[in-house]
Amino acid sequence: MSTTTTPTRRRSRRPSLATPDWMRPRTGWTAAAVIAVAAPWLVDERQVFVLMMVLILAVFATSYNILLGNTGMVSFAHASYYGVGAYAVTLSALHLGWSPLLGMALAPVAAGALGYLTGLVALRATRLYFALLTLAIGQLMYVVMFQWRTFTRGDDGIHGLRLPDVLGPTLNRYYFLLLLAALAIAIMGVAMRSPFGATLRAIRENRDRAGFLGIKVKRYELAAFTLGSAFAGWAGGMYAIFDRGSFPLLLHWTTSAEPIFVTLIGGMNSFAGPVVGAVIFGLLRDYVTRNFVYWGVVLGLVLLTLILFLPGGTVEGLKRLWARFTGGPPPEGDPAAPDHPGVDEPAPASRGGVR
Amino acid sequence: MSTNALLLQILTGLSRAAILFIVAAGLSLVFGAMRIVNIAHGSFYMLGAFLAVTVAGAVAGPFGFVAALVVAPLIVAVVGGVIEVSALRRLYGKEHLLQLLATFAVLLVLHDAVRWFYGERPRSLRAPEFARGSVDLAGTIYPRYGLFIIVAALLIAGGLWALMSRTGLGRDIRAAVSDPEMLGMVGVDVRRLFTIVFMLGAALGGIGGVLAAPQTTLLLGMDVDIIVQSFAVVIIGGLGSLLGTAVGAVLVGVTFALGIVWFPSAAMAIVFLVMVAVLVVRPTGLFGIPEA
Repeated sequence: MSTTTTPTRRRSRRPSLATPDWMRPRTGWTAAAVIAVAAPWLVDERQVFVLMMVLILAVFATSYNILLGNTGMVSFAHASYYGVGAYAVTLSALHLGWSPLLGMALAPVAAGALGYLTGLVALRATRLYFALLTLAIGQLMYVVMFQWRTFTRGDDGIHGLRLPDVLGPTLNRYYFLLLLAALAIAIMGVAMRSPFGATLRAIRENRDRAGFLGIKVKRYELAAFTLGSAFAGWAGGMYAIFDRGSFPLLLHWTTSAEPIFVTLIGGMNSFAGPVVGAVIFGLLRDYVTRNFVYWGVVLGLVLLTLILFLPGGTVEGLKRLWARFTGGPPPEGDPAAPDHPGVDEPAPASRGGVR
Repeated sequence: MSTNALLLQILTGLSRAAILFIVAAGLSLVFGAMRIVNIAHGSFYMLGAFLAVTVAGAVAGPFGFVAALVVAPLIVAVVGGVIEVSALRRLYGKEHLLQLLATFAVLLVLHDAVRWFYGERPRSLRAPEFARGSVDLAGTIYPRYGLFIIVAALLIAGGLWALMSRTGLGRDIRAAVSDPEMLGMVGVDVRRLFTIVFMLGAALGGIGGVLAAPQTTLLLGMDVDIIVQSFAVVIIGGLGSLLGTAVGAVLVGVTFALGIVWFPSAAMAIVFLVMVAVLVVRPTGLFGIPEA
């Protein structure tokens, strides 16, 4: 009697042979695009700046999730590549007289190259010690940017970047950043849907077993680290155009926490999670900091609540609600391992463990 | 640099190492027993320092500092206990990432809580009367307070060594480092043990904060500053090793103090370079235990 309902009916979204995967309509992304295009007309000018910051955070957090959600690596150096991207724009304008548009093209290249070189060093360690090594490397880059006054202007940062006239009006700048964000997210989306992305997730699920299958784990991790760094630089370049400047704090390790928080709020187990998180995080931060000084208290308590009760983030919460509403089975992929009070197991080799 | 100036700089480095050792020992202890990297540990240091100002202000007179040295770490330990019982306890056995992020969330809450209670104004604390002034060490004039904290760190190191190797609690902690599950099976209340260890670690952070207070201006960013330096110490020395923490603290403290003479603007960069170099050669630090 009760055996008639089988969970197989939710497998209806099988890729068909007729349309290739990337051509299938995506309702959620289409809706998001429509909202993003319409949004600046619905709010006042100050809020358009909040929206620009949301776009930057969305790219920054999605680039981080290549490491975190897809490959299972925790890095505290990610802000360094973000900062380097921002400085690529401002420094090339300051010393070489480049247009910020050309600097924007340089940002992901510079950050990606630096990500590759530092990744070579950081990936000598794994798991927790990898995370700590990235902290050291990231802080090293921060201190260099902070102290090298003659080249970077040190603590003062670089301000007053001259933008091309066309980017002067707020709306134009918003649509330019929206274009950059859409492009970055589309490229990362294609990469994570490709066999390359699937291999990364295999490494996240079980590093050893992936190795037994003949996957060159370190090489894939380095590729993921480089790709993530390049798009962090992309986001940093967007920031430099948004803020018309850059400053050393962009590279500080506490800035690396921002994409982690964004991803955690949205959900690290889905590609859209960081984008959803960026919207929630950006709007919430704007609201709280304007109405209540202590943003840290609010953010900390929200995070603790999520970590304790909904580690899959908003996306998973919505999926669960949807499943309850339609009576379907709960979503798979609950990252919460079973609770063993007071016992420290070897890290369950599941999603997102520190490596 | 003359021999005297060199000696002075090394002594300055050692007094810095003393604070770093006390704080990092708490971090290392908690990691060793509980396998949690507590990013909020710097907040315990900051909390200890600010509470010391309050307590020393309330208990006026010559015993103000002594009272602060006792009361402030106790309050910090209680705060640590509340955090362990209400949040961290639910995360044992889950992913390291969630534990790391939970302690980061605690850092944010404690940082703004201190801002809430104490405001943005920098604070300071006077050294206790018995440790004011300076002493003449064979021609080198050195602040008496610096010697006081070096002695305090040595006493704490000795106390921790005695605790770990001579008491039942220390035996349980050492057992938890190697196999908490087995420890539970032989009848030790591991939950309670972890709460005690976490409170002890928090208290060490608090003591470090109180002792550092007369030497520095108390600012809101001091939690993040000290946690990065403590990470450098435990990473160089190896997480979970008391000896490693001591060696790491001396290395970082003295490297920084000497670095500031020769390369004033790059002293911290040198510390991080040492840290990267150690990790590249020995990924678990000089005396660290490899991760299970």
